[in-house]
Amino acid sequence: MRYWSVVFALAAIFSVGAFVYAPLSGDWWLPNPSGDMHHSVSSFGREIDSLFVIILVITGVVFIGTQVVLVWEAYRFADRVDDAGRPVRQARYFHGSQRLEVIWTIIPAAILVFIALYQMGTWANIKFRSAAPKVQPTAEVTARQFQWIFRYPGPDRKLYTPDDLYTVNDFHFVKDRMTLINLRSSDVIHSFFLPHMRIKQDAVPGMIIPVWFDSDTAGHFELVCAELCGWGHYKMRGNVTVHASDEEFAKWQADLLAEQNRSQLSMATDNQGR
Amino acid sequence: MTVRSRLHRVIGLCFLVPAISGCSDSFLAGKLHYVENEALTKDVKGRSSLVGKPRLQEKVRKALADIFGEDPQRIRVPEAMGGLLNSGGAYLGNYQVQDGVVKHSANEDPVTKQFTRYAGGYGIYRRQCLHCHGVSGAGDGPTAPFLYPYPRDYRKGLFKFTSTPNGARPSKEDLKRTVRNGLNGTSMPAFHSLLSDFEIDQVVDYVIFLSIRGETELALIDEGAISDETDINALSPETAAEIADGVIRRWIADQSKVVNPTIARTESTRESILRGRELFLGKTPEKLECSGCHGLLARGDGKSFVPQDVFNQVVFGGNPSERQQRIDALSPEMKDLWGQKLDDWGNPLRPANLNRGKDTVYKGGRRPIDIYWRIAKGITGAQMPAHYPTIDEKKVWDLVNFVLALPFEPELLGESPHPGGPEVPPGVSGTPPVAAR
Repeated sequence: MRYWSVVFALAAIFSVGAFVYAPLSGDWWLPNPSGDMHHSVSSFGREIDSLFVIILVITGVVFIGTQVVLVWEAYRFADRVDDAGRPVRQARYFHGSQRLEVIWTIIPAAILVFIALYQMGTWANIKFRSAAPKVQPTAEVTARQFQWIFRYPGPDRKLYTPDDLYTVNDFHFVKDRMTLINLRSSDVIHSFFLPHMRIKQDAVPGMIIPVWFDSDTAGHFELVCAELCGWGHYKMRGNVTVHASDEEFAKWQADLLAEQNRSQLSMATDNQGR
Repeated sequence: MTVRSRLHRVIGLCFLVPAISGCSDSFLAGKLHYVENEALTKDVKGRSSLVGKPRLQEKVRKALADIFGEDPQRIRVPEAMGGLLNSGGAYLGNYQVQDGVVKHSANEDPVTKQFTRYAGGYGIYRRQCLHCHGVSGAGDGPTAPFLYPYPRDYRKGLFKFTSTPNGARPSKEDLKRTVRNGLNGTSMPAFHSLLSDFEIDQVVDYVIFLSIRGETELALIDEGAISDETDINALSPETAAEIADGVIRRWIADQSKVVNPTIARTESTRESILRGRELFLGKTPEKLECSGCHGLLARGDGKSFVPQDVFNQVVFGGNPSERQQRIDALSPEMKDLWGQKLDDWGNPLRPANLNRGKDTVYKGGRRPIDIYWRIAKGITGAQMPAHYPTIDEKKVWDLVNFVLALPFEPELLGESPHPGGPEVPPGVSGTPPVAAR
């Protein structure tokens, strides 16, 4: 029986290896821009990643400690019998230990309090409405089974006017710019998840929730729904395009506006292969 | 020893299960059968059926299998369909065999002389569309009962939002646009970020295939219903092939009927919007009376339709399977009105609410050309009629301008200082004229 402890030890070593490797890997961690495995594209992303690493280190140390004790105890005391065939160290029942209870309550509580205090600033920056950037919302985002509907202010820079721009599952914003969106849901709870930017926010019917984030890298990223919202949940996948400059963003808007104002088929056929 | 062998099994399973379940597309090869049209074996109200004609039923089944293949994994593409499909049918299904020969199908390797099989439209349809639209495109997938409005039943060949005339088959571009952009206000998602253009082409091919198959099935049932069960010549393979050819020819002919406005859009000036308003309210000699259905405030509550509260009570007021009981409980007049306001699929209709402010939804698209199509040629299968050439094209554009302006200026209807007065002066609402776009 004592060789079971070897299996436990191997499992523990594998697990420790996995969590040491995870932050170094572009595949095992949340997505990173290709070629730069330690880098998240957003400033909040980097803060959140460092919080993840701290939690990983704390839980890792606790895990290693408990596994060492577990494996050692299992190895040391299993299968040991005296000449009469009775266990050398007989298991014995005792009705709890107040000292132990206090220790194993205080240590995790202290760790939790530490994490709670340590992450407070980040949480406040990312989630408190009072921290929302004082900028025009880039878009209103409405989640619906099973798509993300985006509404952008048009050339007049105001939402809810006749020149608003509409897209579905296609989100655009500009690099190095704190971007604010108003998040809504028209049916059930969805979750707006930008994995590359480490942003996740539930969309709750009846509420308009501000969400803000940035990206220091132009390119194409992904938007998904992180709340199981129904059978077509997996279809709520959108493209995120981070434009390198305001001019590029304006050009995209102008193209979209032209498409949205299309009134003749001769034009419509031009763009049908997109 | 027992413990050790059990341990081996557990460890072995840990490796095997993920290996088997995670690394293959083999689930696409499972058995799948078309769902029969219920008129084949059941009495369906208002439809011809083949109840009590088992020989003819069997003939219909055989004809469908001969023309379109036995099941979704053994698709046959009638040769006439090739030109209709985006890829000539090359990526339609796993197998496409006709008369023992692979036609319009997978590419042949010049060396091995083997045909490459593609999951093609069938595979994509099975992953993305089947759970709503069902195996044979009847709009009866497992998710369908939970959706409002219901998913489209392709088997009539009718699609609501098209660029072709009212009642005509859609153009391939219409279907691609619907798959790519989804239908706003319904559960039809936009697939442009999930599927490439190439994949959208493939799945549209499959939708056309299913639609033609379904239409042929309906036509065969209609033909069988007027035939004699004992007549051995009834529903012969030749007749069935002719019927299928007729369906395909209609699809092909309708492709060239796409409606393109012959004049450019009228500038969206205050005058044009107000002319549209007059047309909407039926105050012009044409007596359009859009407000009869869409309501005086364009809120989708016109008097020609059952009141909104009655509609909500019937459609959303309890178990969907008990809807008929709720309809039966209506007053005779209301029940009669209810029966008149069904679409071609038998589902209750609601005129669009065009005045929901910033939340106004245009299901068929919000581009001026989309609204033009809805007004000029109506909505296939629904009760929105074609208005062109009843009114001239300029007036259609006036209506388009009005419909697009209304959500931002609800005072255009009803809430104006001069309600009902045709001469609302420009700028009376305090908003500037809508800029020409």
